Amino acid sequence: MSTMNCTDFLNHIDEWIEGQEVPGARDHSRTCAQCRGLAEDLGTIRLAAVTLPEADADPSPHIWTAVRSQLEQEGLIRNGVALQLPHRAGWFDSIFSFVPRPAFAAAYVGALVIAGFVLSGPVHMPTDQDRWRERTQRTSAELNAQLEAAEKTAMASLTTFSPDVTADLRQNLSIVDNDIALCEKSVQESPESEIARDYLYNAYQQKANLLAQISERGEGR
Amino acid sequence: MPEAEAIRLAQQGDAGAFERLYQLHNRRVYSLCLRMVSNTAEAEDLTQEAFLQLFRKIATFRGESAFSTWLHRLAVNVVLMKLRRKSGTETSLEQVTEPDEESGSPRRDFGGPDIRLSGSIDRVNLQRAVDQLPPGYKAVFVLHDVQGYEHNEIAEIMGCSIGNSKSQLHKARMRLRGLLHEAVREKAREERKAAGTSSGGED
Repeated sequence: MSTMNCTDFLNHIDEWIEGQEVPGARDHSRTCAQCRGLAEDLGTIRLAAVTLPEADADPSPHIWTAVRSQLEQEGLIRNGVALQLPHRAGWFDSIFSFVPRPAFAAAYVGALVIAGFVLSGPVHMPTDQDRWRERTQRTSAELNAQLEAAEKTAMASLTTFSPDVTADLRQNLSIVDNDIALCEKSVQESPESEIARDYLYNAYQQKANLLAQISERGEGR
Repeated sequence: MPEAEAIRLAQQGDAGAFERLYQLHNRRVYSLCLRMVSNTAEAEDLTQEAFLQLFRKIATFRGESAFSTWLHRLAVNVVLMKLRRKSGTETSLEQVTEPDEESGSPRRDFGGPDIRLSGSIDRVNLQRAVDQLPPGYKAVFVLHDVQGYEHNEIAEIMGCSIGNSKSQLHKARMRLRGLLHEAVREKAREERKAAGTSSGGED
């Protein structure tokens, strides 16, 4: 026989639906349709709540870019090495994975950080195609000029490699250049697209990393 | 890199450690923000703001509470501040959690006995109902029922008592039940109306 009344049941209903032992609750719920219905409803809500995050997409990688840029501006980050955004796995990632981050990369860091910030912008900048296009073109031109200079240095060090390695590296550079060209085209077509700018930035970063690693290895020979 | 090591290095300004901490916690913080504001752009801005505040204050973290609890406290405060600004009123956290109902025992409101929610709610209408909760209820509900925090952790995050957290959660669930019942009734009314229109049109 139930010794719990509706008020007592309601006072303990949260513990009950969370699976805790509440003396008398089971008996009361058997005999009181109203309380049983309430417990069932709250249990249904609780179960549905657990599923809420399942449909969530990952947060945009631009959040980290923006956080990092801000921290750098405020001087809270000590060593300004190249940004490590979550990015597509580059085909060269494994090739030089054994090489420590080269000092050479420092030459590009400033440009990359600026490019990252400009290409990402505030996370939700108002969409203005012309403004984005102008910002991107200016940044791309500056970065391409710096990468071109870096490429000359890297190419000079290629002479120290065997012909096979040289051919592979040239091919890899060519692939990165094609990637950059495709990404630049996408950004020109959709300058307001965060994804397009993100891919372009990653392509620049890949080329800078590759050139730095070529030079580092060349110097080490 | 383990979290404790990342915290230690981040306190010295190490860039990799900041990124590691971001990677460890960004999804959970973003999910909390998204549940609270139901808008991806706003949730991303709030996530950004929460991490900026975290990294600005990380040197003051002494490990008295779990790092994730500390981070969530910052995130919840960022979200509640945003919601307060949005509502255009300067309200305290206590007001956001509706303290005038705090002292009372659970409301004796059983709702309509004729409707059962089982089988009639999904993610979309549950989130719609969550959106209508007062910010304090919403925060406790999301932290407990969605993210799985315990009441003692929520008390730390929200800066309230454990009893307060339990009370807020109960009221949030009861309010959600009422809102969901209303949504189910509304849907039934629309279906009846559509059926009436349809059969009327055929006559």
